[in-house]
Amino acid sequence: MLTLLRRRAVSSVIPLMVVVLGVFFLARLTGDPANLYLPLSATPEMRAEFAARNGLDEPLVTQFGDYLAQVAHLDFGESLRTAQPAGEAVLRAFPATLQLAGWTMLLAIVGAVAIGSLAAYRPNSATDRIASFLSSMAASVPDFWIAIMGVLVFAVTLGWLPTSGTSGAAAWVLPVATLLIRPFGVLVQVVRGAMVSALSAPYVKVARGKGASEPRVVFGHSLRNAAAPALTVAGDLAVGLVNGAVVVETIFGWPGIGKLMIDSVLQRDFAVLQAAVLLTALAIFALNILVDLCHALLDPRVRQRAAA
Amino acid sequence: MLDTSEAGGPAVRRRWFALLLRDRFACAAALVLVLVALCAVLGPLLAADLATRQNLRAPDRPPFSLDHGWAFVLGSDSLGRPVAARLLTAAGTTLAVAVPAVLCSLAVGSVWGMWAGYHGGLRENVSLRVADVILSFPSLLLAVVVLYVFSPSAASLVLVLAVARIPVYLRTARAEAAELRGRLFMDAARTFGTGGWAAIRRHVAPSVLPTLLTVAALDFCFVMLAESSLSFLGIGIQPPDVSWGLMVAQGRQELQSAWWIAFFPGLAIVVTTVSATALASWARLTADPGQRWREALGRTGGKRPRRERERSAAGNGTRPSNGAVLAVEDLSVDVHTPAGPVQVVRGVGFTVRSGETLALLGESGCGKSMTAHAVAGLLDPVAEVTGGQVRLDGVNLLAIGPRARRRLAGPHLAMVFQDALSALNPVLTVGTQLAEPFRIHEGMSRRAARARAVELMERVGIPEAGSRADAYPHQFSGGMRQRLLIATAVALRPKVLIADEPTTALDVTVQAQIMDLLAELGGEQRTALVLITHDLGLAAEHADRVAVMYAGAVVETGPVAEVFGKPHHPYTQGLLASVPAEQHRGARLRSIPGGPPDPGAVPAGCAFRTRCPLARERCATHRPALNGTGPGRAAACHFGKDLADA
Repeated sequence: MLTLLRRRAVSSVIPLMVVVLGVFFLARLTGDPANLYLPLSATPEMRAEFAARNGLDEPLVTQFGDYLAQVAHLDFGESLRTAQPAGEAVLRAFPATLQLAGWTMLLAIVGAVAIGSLAAYRPNSATDRIASFLSSMAASVPDFWIAIMGVLVFAVTLGWLPTSGTSGAAAWVLPVATLLIRPFGVLVQVVRGAMVSALSAPYVKVARGKGASEPRVVFGHSLRNAAAPALTVAGDLAVGLVNGAVVVETIFGWPGIGKLMIDSVLQRDFAVLQAAVLLTALAIFALNILVDLCHALLDPRVRQRAAA
Repeated sequence: MLDTSEAGGPAVRRRWFALLLRDRFACAAALVLVLVALCAVLGPLLAADLATRQNLRAPDRPPFSLDHGWAFVLGSDSLGRPVAARLLTAAGTTLAVAVPAVLCSLAVGSVWGMWAGYHGGLRENVSLRVADVILSFPSLLLAVVVLYVFSPSAASLVLVLAVARIPVYLRTARAEAAELRGRLFMDAARTFGTGGWAAIRRHVAPSVLPTLLTVAALDFCFVMLAESSLSFLGIGIQPPDVSWGLMVAQGRQELQSAWWIAFFPGLAIVVTTVSATALASWARLTADPGQRWREALGRTGGKRPRRERERSAAGNGTRPSNGAVLAVEDLSVDVHTPAGPVQVVRGVGFTVRSGETLALLGESGCGKSMTAHAVAGLLDPVAEVTGGQVRLDGVNLLAIGPRARRRLAGPHLAMVFQDALSALNPVLTVGTQLAEPFRIHEGMSRRAARARAVELMERVGIPEAGSRADAYPHQFSGGMRQRLLIATAVALRPKVLIADEPTTALDVTVQAQIMDLLAELGGEQRTALVLITHDLGLAAEHADRVAVMYAGAVVETGPVAEVFGKPHHPYTQGLLASVPAEQHRGARLRSIPGGPPDPGAVPAGCAFRTRCPLARERCATHRPALNGTGPGRAAACHFGKDLADA
């Protein structure tokens, strides 16, 4: 297990390094970084002072070394808007997003396993067709529009739910529901497909030949085999939740990292954006390792391959 | 479908079109997309002027009123601009981003992927790594960063979205090209000195393209949604240009007073993306013949078991049948195909007594496996028992409900499958799988069942059973896996054991061990063994009696030595003559002329007559019944008696 962890960690470091490098090059090589960090109205004196303060007059290699050292210490500079350390701002926003994404993923996985298995149990039955149609719809609707229509109906017209904020369970309903729709739709389709093939595998016949009850066939034998492909997709979807979080947090005023990113883009606060991007990349890195661990837990063949 | 589309040409296009017309849903989706495309092209020409004309005297007009002309049918926004006209103009902008982005990533990604897949090696590895890196990063985040550095515009949007989606095509194209790389015709092309790009263009591209186009259709949705999201967030399309996403953002400000401003552009996005998804999944089903076949089959499935039970409930007697523990009578099985049901088992009958081994012998495709699965109640959903009885200890298995059947599966009737690797669950330990029969039927505790499982493993000759019980199927050799499978089947000492080609996948020495094990277990427990095989030698050595099957029916039965010594059916004669044996040394081996009939086109009368040296006119009109030709013997041939007397 440790070998697997180590190997996956090493190979996932590459994308992480690419992101770190990418941010550096975007900041330095696409023009004067002062353009990125300073407001558009900055005077030439301000620019010169900024360059000297941030070592931008040094050679590129020195700058890169400094940059790496800063990143390693999670020191991303100061926010232009608040003059606070950018790293702190991001770390403060992080738990809100993590909670939102965590609940969403949990609900999506539980719901998709239930509905996907139900649909796969009798392929092409009415249940299957309805589930397949609705899930393919759900996978292709614009989440921002659903969010706004949700606000219109449930918050503005009916007044059941608040339009924004994080206090109370009611405030979670619309953000989670909006964020849920697309991953849920995709996951239902994946679970269904994987369960259809697992349920037609010879070992299912053997289990039935032993006199196993249908719940035992579905949950004891098929589901764990179907879990592997579903898990892979769930991992990709969890990464994709960052996309949804940007939209949902903006609409519902959720104080998370997605809103922070959009705000810093719109207000040209590069330090915060950079910190947010790098920490998100780090979180994705951790998530990928988690997904690999789950794969190993589910499938003995993965464990063996990892040990070999 | 796939092979014809490779050839291209107008005929194929017409066929696709005809198929499209047959599916109403896909047809509607295609129509919507054509309409959207038309709006995108004509909209900016017709409505651009109207869409930008502000009319501050008429803000927030509600929709569905024609009082102010067609442009105001969907209402107006806060500046008095007509929503309908803006919607048309926005269609142009929206597609002007989505279509070029999809085309760019399709072109670059597919060429790159085919190149990587065709050459393999380092080029493939590096390409895949690049794809991994791009895909491991949320695309919207990538876009946010890039659009921060370069100012947002339609051109930079296209660039960002194209780059973000290249890996999707790269992976697909690479996978397909790498699969083709291993094929023979590619070797041939290389031998003839066809250059890399020429080979890709001529051999790889035509077979990869249909898949890639389906991917592109789905990706179109993704790109459109990404563009809308970015525009909605204010970092995509910038005013005064307008896209659907931007319109939703503008409408959001006035959600309470004028819902229609945000509603209609969102609806336009939904309708477009859902149509594209529907069309893409239709194309995928159409391009994959296997998929289509399954779909067609599913439609006939569903309510089947109940009907079957009702029909055969008539024959629900418990009459004992002369000492046989298993008696199959007139069993028929249909398989549903797109062309309609095909009868693959046509009135099979046989009996087995306790302690006896019956070999069900026949060429592949003669219906012997299907018979076995029907007897065990393990038919695939596409197959259906259409008649006959299967009596186990006098109880008709086809007439009892699934619950009662489950109680018999294991202690009364068990089956050993052909491919032990896929018949064992890869994610459960073998101990768990072997313990299952005890847990299900005897309600044992986990611990007690495990102890029995270890015992069982020892009995089928697995060394170090105690520790190996915690191992997984892939950690065993093929022979050991087959032993495990047999152990599972005999766990509850079944009265009848059906072994479906239990040794086909094994090498000769292991084959002998497995057969000895089966015989040993059968002897101990007086199990009735039905051995399904195509191997005459195996039948001769291990069976007491044999039932020879041809084209879904039993053509001859009898004690194995007698049948092989003096067959009473010309098919059995032919089979035996085609086996190399001592007495044939020096003589030419004879084979039966022709091949077994296709299950969908079995000749009328006697199924074997087209290959039979004895065939007469009668054979074409009368199907011979399985009639007695001697003590304990029967043959389904009009000349069976003659052959017996000769």
